[in-house]
Amino acid sequence: MNRLDNQLSRRRFLQASAAVGAAVSLGGITAACNAIGQPAVQGGTFNWMTWGDHYIDTQLKAIEASDKIVPQISELAGNAEGFAKLKEVKGELDQMSGDALWVPDAYFAEGLIEPFDINELKVSSQLYPFARQFEIWTKPEGYLGYPFGWSPISIYYNVEHVTPAPDSWAVLLDPKYKGRIVIENQPEEIVAYMGKASGVDDVYNMTDDQLATVKGLLEQLKPNVLKFAQQATDSVNAMISEEAWLITGNLGNEDRVKDGGGPEIKGFIPKEGTVGWMDAEMIVKEGKNKSLLFPFMEKSQQAEYIAENFITHGRPLFNEAAYKILVDKGEGDRADRYLYNKAEETLAKTTLKGPGTSTEKSIQLFNEVFGA
Amino acid sequence: MTTEIVGGAALAPPTAIGGRRSARLRQLAPFLPAMVIIVGLFVVPLALMFVFSFWSTNENLDVVPVWTLENYQNFFTNPTYVRTLFKTMVIGAGVTVVCLVVAFVVAYFLSRYVSRRWARIALLIIIVPFWTSYLLRVYSWQAILGEHGALNQVLVGLGILREPSLLFVYNDFGTFIVLAYLYIPFAALVLYASLERFDFTQLTAAQDLGAGPVAAFRRVLLPQIRPGLITACIFVFIPILGEFLTPSMVGGAQGLLIANLLANFFKTALIPEGAAVGFLIAAFVTALLIVFRRYLRVEDVVVRG
Repeated sequence: MNRLDNQLSRRRFLQASAAVGAAVSLGGITAACNAIGQPAVQGGTFNWMTWGDHYIDTQLKAIEASDKIVPQISELAGNAEGFAKLKEVKGELDQMSGDALWVPDAYFAEGLIEPFDINELKVSSQLYPFARQFEIWTKPEGYLGYPFGWSPISIYYNVEHVTPAPDSWAVLLDPKYKGRIVIENQPEEIVAYMGKASGVDDVYNMTDDQLATVKGLLEQLKPNVLKFAQQATDSVNAMISEEAWLITGNLGNEDRVKDGGGPEIKGFIPKEGTVGWMDAEMIVKEGKNKSLLFPFMEKSQQAEYIAENFITHGRPLFNEAAYKILVDKGEGDRADRYLYNKAEETLAKTTLKGPGTSTEKSIQLFNEVFGA
Repeated sequence: MTTEIVGGAALAPPTAIGGRRSARLRQLAPFLPAMVIIVGLFVVPLALMFVFSFWSTNENLDVVPVWTLENYQNFFTNPTYVRTLFKTMVIGAGVTVVCLVVAFVVAYFLSRYVSRRWARIALLIIIVPFWTSYLLRVYSWQAILGEHGALNQVLVGLGILREPSLLFVYNDFGTFIVLAYLYIPFAALVLYASLERFDFTQLTAAQDLGAGPVAAFRRVLLPQIRPGLITACIFVFIPILGEFLTPSMVGGAQGLLIANLLANFFKTALIPEGAAVGFLIAAFVTALLIVFRRYLRVEDVVVRG
């Protein structure tokens, strides 16, 4: 290519770029004018950071069709990460999901969320009465979140390969199961499980001595762990393929494995106690689209959707009216097996997830054991 | 106009300092986008990370701007981090060697013995995996190397193994194999670009002059494709230092690399602690690039590709 060609092509390139730029600008201006000219429509969009099992697509589409409210969802990986994110972006989010003690001790304590009168939401009458009065979420300013789902962390085992039937965290440390355990990739929770195994009650606020004991258990656990699951479905799939004989997870995995064509598995809550979670939808204090949240919750928390959510995701929720729908639909047995209507007594036996004083040391400990 | 730009400051009258300055600015203008990108997306974030790495996190997971060396002390006094960094470098170096060898053989064959048309088709086949997502490619290796995967089925079917082996995946070996697979195309493309420009009659000439095949290869070919080799090293070794996804998916609990430990800090909002580990990796990579730069003259890249 000679110099003349170069110049010509450059000129052409500039001309083409200018034309494209002008067209795009014109299009943008036209679109903006159209938007300004249109009458205001009911509804709108809001930003919601949540876990993938807090909604189902059909539910969102139905709400969009009826109320024109569309949540723009960003995936929530974990409580600490979500909390750090909200502190950073504040009013760019409108609704946030959070677990148990993270709600009062982190989000509320930092002034990031706005308490509200839960009884103002008509749909809240569908909740179990105790779910409207959780002490940890009750403040003089109002209720801190709209209760959604809950579960204790259980251990699931393949009944053919894991014998005798275990009842303790100790099964995870048994050398018989080398390379046969899959645990979700949440370092602070894995340390908490081993805390429970060692008999510690307050596993998110462990002393150095307790952490030293936990380190020994983590070292026993390491050779048994095949892999860390990035999400709950990875654990379920490992059970289905029988790569894993033991997994940790929420209530409901027996059916998920069975539905996937996997072997018979059973779950149990370890006798030493376990960690539990109960989550809620919080209203972000500085959210710019807060006005959409009550109308959205009125629709999205209706029993029909919650029952559908239970059938899809298989862990209990706080909506009592949904339980009745499940019974009517012939899903009552499944709901009972997953302790759907026993939230209060089950959660009382667990250590609820929350921020703790030993988080940093737990991570250091986990890295120390699972690094090279 | 063109002459003025090309000539720049040299053609400007000696007294016209302003004109000279503006000519120099015009010369620098094309570098502005690159400067903005480097400063905005590399220098500034790195500086922020450096500052954060000297701070700490309180119990509320707030970053506390109190200067401390504790994060670096933790890294160097805890042998796990140093060991894991070392292991990451060893795996990275091993994968780089494998990638270079495999890619060199492929690129050499294509550039010397295959017509340009067919070589391009072969290169297209090499880069076809890039059309699918990285995640999908790694997942597919889980299916190949897993206990019930294709490899085990073949080996058991052939009678080589009596029962499926657990040794192919969820360990360092699995990480190594998958990383090599992922990075071979990068090395192959770079090496092909170098070898394509090499005049292979030089090898014949060297042998005519008495050099053995190894000497001809070492003293004639290698020096001329050195920029390609170094660039391939950069494209393979450095990204592996930051590899997070592959080790977490096929490395299992035994095959974690330094980026996995780093991610654990960020996942739990321990930003300064993570920043210190991240900065050390970034500093190491920068030092490595400086070393590579010593062996990579810009004109080599521009002239020889």
